[in-house]
Amino acid sequence: MIERFIHHVKVELPAPEEAVAGGRVRLADKFPRTALRRMTHLGLLIGSALEGVSLGPDDALVYATAFAECRALEDFLASFPSASPLLFQTSIHPGGVQQVQIGRQQPVGRLWPLAGRTRLVEQAWLTALLEPADRVVLAGGEERGTWMIETGMASDKAFAFAAVLTRESVGAAGRIVFNPGSTTDEPCPALDAFASALRERKPLAWQGAGGAWALEWR
Amino acid sequence: MASMSALADQLPAGIVACDCLTPFGGADATAAALVANRRALQLTAVLGRDGGDQVPLALLGPMDETLPLRWLPALRGFAAGIPAGTWGTAREPVIVTSSNFGVGSLYAFMRDHDVRHMAHGNPFACVELLRREFGWGEQVHIFSHACVTAHLGLAHAARLLHAGLADRVLVFSFDFVSPFVAGGFHSLKILNGAMPAPYAVRETGSIGLGDGAAYAVLSREAAPFQIAAHAFYNEMFHFTSNQPEGTGFTVCAGLIAPTVRGRRVWVKGHGTGTLEAGRLEAEAFARDFPGAPLTGWKGSLGHTLGSCGLVELAITLAALRGGRIPGTVGGLAPSFTGSVALEPFACAGFDGAILTSNAFGGAHAAMLLTHD
Repeated sequence: MIERFIHHVKVELPAPEEAVAGGRVRLADKFPRTALRRMTHLGLLIGSALEGVSLGPDDALVYATAFAECRALEDFLASFPSASPLLFQTSIHPGGVQQVQIGRQQPVGRLWPLAGRTRLVEQAWLTALLEPADRVVLAGGEERGTWMIETGMASDKAFAFAAVLTRESVGAAGRIVFNPGSTTDEPCPALDAFASALRERKPLAWQGAGGAWALEWR
Repeated sequence: MASMSALADQLPAGIVACDCLTPFGGADATAAALVANRRALQLTAVLGRDGGDQVPLALLGPMDETLPLRWLPALRGFAAGIPAGTWGTAREPVIVTSSNFGVGSLYAFMRDHDVRHMAHGNPFACVELLRREFGWGEQVHIFSHACVTAHLGLAHAARLLHAGLADRVLVFSFDFVSPFVAGGFHSLKILNGAMPAPYAVRETGSIGLGDGAAYAVLSREAAPFQIAAHAFYNEMFHFTSNQPEGTGFTVCAGLIAPTVRGRRVWVKGHGTGTLEAGRLEAEAFARDFPGAPLTGWKGSLGHTLGSCGLVELAITLAALRGGRIPGTVGGLAPSFTGSVALEPFACAGFDGAILTSNAFGGAHAAMLLTHD
């Protein structure tokens, strides 16, 4: 069995109509002003979810997003033939979480950005559980796209989450557990379902990647 | 100075098989071309058929994205060389690493307004196409951390193996240049009309971009070539520049250096052709690995972006088998340090190599390759 205990959980679930401009107003006091004006909606939401979590060179950060900065992608594509350097930088995975950490000027030892979809949660958990750092931050989310939603290349909802995982059970709110042994691949919860489970303290369980997975709460 | 208490991963993984695909061909052909000081980069319109400035690109064919995908036939042929296995299962998972994936299809959609391009436009959709093409199962992990991505895939593979969760791991990486990414780097002015001259002291820096794919099959078993250690560090100072005092390079070099343990190593650096990063990298590795030759191959192949770590690993293995390590193709004297190797050198007497990559956000990665 491999397990990690959950010590901080925050989930950002903005109003469905909120876009980046509204996010900047709502979350303005959480970011340096110089960083705020360049941040994407996903960066703002990730930053808010990470509020109060200071990361350092000894920490590891696992970052999960399927669509990443899809609004920046849309705008960068529209900027051709005079490609925008700012939008190019912003559109590059894993820009969402880098915006936050660069704004804070906080280096991180190891950053593991994942970009799958159907088994993204399972793979992010596995990456976090195999990470030897004493403290692992598991963060992720999506921002809502516009025209790319129609072709399935952008998320149709915005959300973000962050959880601090350690080996310390005392004071933990819950735990993530992997029991190797199973050979069945059951459907894995989607990233937004994982965010909802964190927000509502709901358990999750399924089998995949050669074992049984569980999110448990105290 | 950042804390040095983080340690490098030291989970040795044997390299069962490894190859790459560049405009020169496979790893053996590419290593031979580099030893012969040949450049694959050619001046090409930055937006392909849409024109624009001439910039150095090393391509397997015209870069304009097509239907079917322009790079798929090349990948099909290349993937045929992967050893047979139950790839994509829990015991034999696949890790796909890239920074481009199918992003060129998004540009093609904007150009052609053909919605079929959109089917491959993001990482998971693009990898799903590969999964079906190559008959992989569901256990396909996808990492995307710009130009250090392949290092992450190799390190994660070692962790899966040493946790007893996998018997063999296939790490597969591919990056094909498109107007999307060429236009982006051109907008940053670092992809310009000049050929890259890695580690050279000159007035203006420049990089090239290149098509590249590679794979490695790793196992826990000892093998003639092993990846013995990985080190990572993320500066988080600026998206496109490093801390001016070179902290990120110093930390990463300092993390990987203790793993060498008396081996005689040379260094395959990142060496894109940018000035400041090239200087900081050359100085940091000269400090931690005194006397170790520093070489880099992006002056010939261009930067294969998220795949560069694996492409250059495959070339390293081929060069070691051939007995000569390519010098810094495109490099010029004077270089930033005396350690920069401008000419090929014999691998006799060395029993290890440090391979490094860097990425946006001040991301640093280094691995130790060992051999007898």
